Amino acid sequence: MALNLTSLLSKVNPDPSKAGKTLLFLNALGMIFAALSNTFACATDKNTSKKDKKFLVPAGVVTGIANIGIYYGMTTKIINKLGGKKIYPKENQTVNLIISKLKDGTFEVLTDDKGQKYVEVKGTAHNIIEKLEKGGTFDKEVKKFVNKEIKKAQNGNIFGFGKKTQEYIVSMKESLLDGGKPSQYAQNLFKDNIKSGMGVLGAFIGAVIGCAIITPIIRDISAYFVQKRMEKHNPDLQNKPYMPYFDPSHLKVNIHGKKQPLSMKNYMAFTSSGSNLKV
Amino acid sequence: MKVNSIKQQNLSSKNQNFKGLGSAIAGQLAKHPVAIAGLATSSVVAQKIVMSGSEATIGPVMDILTGKTITKITNEKDGRTNQSSKTQAIRTCAQSIGGTITGVIIRTLCIFGSTLALSKAGGDIGKMIALGVKNPENQYQLAQQTAAWGKSLGGAIAILVMMFTNFLIDAPFINKINKEMTHAVDKFSSKKQAQTQKEVK
Repeated sequence: MALNLTSLLSKVNPDPSKAGKTLLFLNALGMIFAALSNTFACATDKNTSKKDKKFLVPAGVVTGIANIGIYYGMTTKIINKLGGKKIYPKENQTVNLIISKLKDGTFEVLTDDKGQKYVEVKGTAHNIIEKLEKGGTFDKEVKKFVNKEIKKAQNGNIFGFGKKTQEYIVSMKESLLDGGKPSQYAQNLFKDNIKSGMGVLGAFIGAVIGCAIITPIIRDISAYFVQKRMEKHNPDLQNKPYMPYFDPSHLKVNIHGKKQPLSMKNYMAFTSSGSNLKV
Repeated sequence: MKVNSIKQQNLSSKNQNFKGLGSAIAGQLAKHPVAIAGLATSSVVAQKIVMSGSEATIGPVMDILTGKTITKITNEKDGRTNQSSKTQAIRTCAQSIGGTITGVIIRTLCIFGSTLALSKAGGDIGKMIALGVKNPENQYQLAQQTAAWGKSLGGAIAILVMMFTNFLIDAPFINKINKEMTHAVDKFSSKKQAQTQKEVK
């Protein structure tokens, strides 16, 4: 039970160094579920002919794959560029083999808590840390970070929620302070948080570009081709003022005698309300 | 030769500008390291707010621009694609607003529930959470780890929950917002049209 649970939970890794990638993974998973639901709804819709389904289902799948694929690939690159990445040697692979493919000065060879060697490829986060250390402002910033964390625990958030107990604050100070100064644990935590914070920033940038720019373009272009295809089979649709799925005459009359938007089962709704299902 | 050297100079100055821009952004970010470190504890709730906020503002503009581009490229004379893009733009905005409200509530509840459950969990699960903590006796370090698990696990549970709530809550809620927004836009454009007609007269 515990083993299965561990392997399942490892997919949503809470390791702070992977914070950005966890956000990306969860968002992409949501998009995959949404695309699957939409395609399934289209495939099982009784109102759509088999002939149309042969075109509409693959069109939905291709649009979904293109959308999610571009978003995932692009965001991974942004996260790696900003937060850096850890590369563990695979079986029959040495660290030297990994670093032989990298440029000097762009990586560090480190050892984790379990004693395993890995390569950390530097990102913008590493440059920021180096800049702080070389500029002599690192200690000052760690102090600010520690004070902010302690204040947050004492006062809670802006609404006053999240105030911690005295016992918690004592253990917090034990971890973060050493003789009144930031401890080694606090310094490492600060460095790790800068790296994962940059990864999260990358995940946010990817989500903005992917969902606000790429998705509308792919959706609208695919909708245009679907419209043209539908018009080939239904020449009447050419006289309609809008794309077929925006035409109110397609709306179903419900039991109250009012026209309701098309059901999720209909592909027309699939294209027009695709983002309804975005999780 | 001269032309080539000028071209090369231009290219290298462009590259320098690009590098300059990258380092300038990194330089700006380096001025706020504590704020960047604060981002590390962000959950899927923050991601949803950022994503939907941009979707509500940039998404509709992209819809209209894509519609205009398709109309131009395909030389479509009746401009139906352009028209439907405007309708889609309203829908995108409605979807972002409705999706954010339900999405944020469900995600927050799932993360809160998971963190609470994990903080009280003992046995194998409790041991598993304590595995990544350097000093499991320290309440702060253990709570940090539990919160990280709660965010990851809660985010994953929220996605599963939303597979159902998308149909049950989001779809009708978004349709309602869409209807209201469409009415508001229609009212605004008819008022504007009437005003223009008055001015012409």
